[in-house]
Amino acid sequence: MGTTLEAMGTTHDRHSDKDADFSAYMAARQVALYRTAYLLAGDHAGAEDLLQNAFAKLYLSWDKVRDREALDGYVRRIMVNEHSSLWRRAWRRREHSSDTLPDSGVVDAYDDGMGGVLWSFVQTLPPRQRSVVVLRYYEQLSEAEIADVIGISVGTVKSQASRALAGLRARAPQSLNPHQSGDDVR
Amino acid sequence: MNHTPLEDQVHDALHRRVDPLQHAPLTVADVRGRARRIQRRRAVAAGAAVAAVLAIAVPFGLATTGPAQRTEVPPVTQPPAPTIASGTVLVDPSSAETLAETPVPLLDVDAPSLITPVGTTDLPGPFSVLTPYLDGWVGIQMDEGTGTLRFLDADGPAEDGASPTGGLVASPDGTRVAWSTYTGSEWEVVVADPSGSTEPVRTTFPPAPQEHRVEPVGFVAGDEVVVRTFDDSVETKTYVVRGGRPVEVTALLQAESASAATGLVAGLSRLTADGACSGAVNGAGTPVWETCEHSIGAFSPSGAYVVGTDPEADGYGSPTVSVLDGSTGEEIVTFEAVLPRRTVGGFWSQVAWEGDDALIVRLFRGEEYDMMRLGLDGTVRRIDIDSAGASGLTVAQPW
Repeated sequence: MGTTLEAMGTTHDRHSDKDADFSAYMAARQVALYRTAYLLAGDHAGAEDLLQNAFAKLYLSWDKVRDREALDGYVRRIMVNEHSSLWRRAWRRREHSSDTLPDSGVVDAYDDGMGGVLWSFVQTLPPRQRSVVVLRYYEQLSEAEIADVIGISVGTVKSQASRALAGLRARAPQSLNPHQSGDDVR
Repeated sequence: MNHTPLEDQVHDALHRRVDPLQHAPLTVADVRGRARRIQRRRAVAAGAAVAAVLAIAVPFGLATTGPAQRTEVPPVTQPPAPTIASGTVLVDPSSAETLAETPVPLLDVDAPSLITPVGTTDLPGPFSVLTPYLDGWVGIQMDEGTGTLRFLDADGPAEDGASPTGGLVASPDGTRVAWSTYTGSEWEVVVADPSGSTEPVRTTFPPAPQEHRVEPVGFVAGDEVVVRTFDDSVETKTYVVRGGRPVEVTALLQAESASAATGLVAGLSRLTADGACSGAVNGAGTPVWETCEHSIGAFSPSGAYVVGTDPEADGYGSPTVSVLDGSTGEEIVTFEAVLPRRTVGGFWSQVAWEGDDALIVRLFRGEEYDMMRLGLDGTVRRIDIDSAGASGLTVAQPW
């Protein structure tokens, strides 16, 4: 009987530790990861759903993730993959992305207007291109790191980024025209 | 990073958009609740076999460690892994459990209508393939045995004209769709973004009569489509098109499918004295694997699996449909149709993958047919949706 009580106590401690660790991680990282989720989803409801799902999957795998330094990457990977999946489901319901912002998000008091224009264009990118843009230009991950997160080759990361920029360049105002701004076409 | 001005502006735009956000809307309780739902879903998806294992394992666990180990969230050190069946699974529609909703879009040829998990949409005519495009769909309308490419918007046909087509395919992630059309003097392959965010990429073949069809087979990478071409000879040729000049892929007698995830192209590889063999080659035309036991169908979205049918299949279909390892061609599980005595029938080759988890197939038995969901975990379900007429239902997106 004493052994059983001891085992029960050990188990209880292990779960308490897990919850405490997970809670601490959430408290420390939720604000930052929510921003990434918002950039992927484009609105608060979608961002909350993406992040909750990613945290839930992390919670279920908490004991298996040995490298605590890799937790953010794990959450990002889930969100990016889930974003594509959500987009697919929405697409099947014929709810297409558009230039119209579904959610005003943040009031940008010091923007010259270009930020809002570019953000609206980012929202029209196909999901994979959008993920690459967010990971590259917001998270500032390397191409190899992005390839690892999304599960594609480095070459595909490059081509997706190139296509995304070409699309943005084509749709953005003339001030972003490389012939006027000195921007190299790559 | 050595950024261009545009890249810098994108960086700034994203940061300005979210840096002021201080949202932390989730509590640990919210996350635990979602985790429980995910676990329940995984358990259901894992199917009856896993359920049977758990039915044994859970009482055993309780007996050895005591009930106090039960917590709000079950231990996750060994989450239920997806179970893949092996051997032969019999498919008998009359005894199979039923599904009230279809997991993939279906076409009711006689209605005619499109049936999806979220509802039914009337169509202006019978279609053999239909997939979302812009505000509506693009599909192949059946017209006295020949197919014509039609665009539909939410209210019906988007334009009066219809072009002869050799087929229509979409990428597994739904971000690209490709079709071929005959312009009157030549065949053209178009790769388009269903969201309309990017311009379509067009590849034109040399002038040829309409009978020299160009048929899309599948996506082999992001914007790259495998097509097969026919001419007056008995042989077909295989090309990868990505705009510009088509690149020929040799080593297959006739391509049947492609995987955007793995870059493999599969199809008929050689004829033998006994019949035919099929195999997969990479983009350089190098053989990767071969099987003489199956004809090859569609790859699963991840490329992990590929459909195999009986090489001796006749007009009624294949008596079996197998799931093969997409990287080796090895057979994993075979579904065999249960047919009443003196009844002909089989599985149609036009199948759809439900993720990497199941195949949606049409099974003929004499004069009857059923739409079946064949789970890789060995589960068999009949999709219990009536059709308007004798032609019945078929999958709308056969990939």
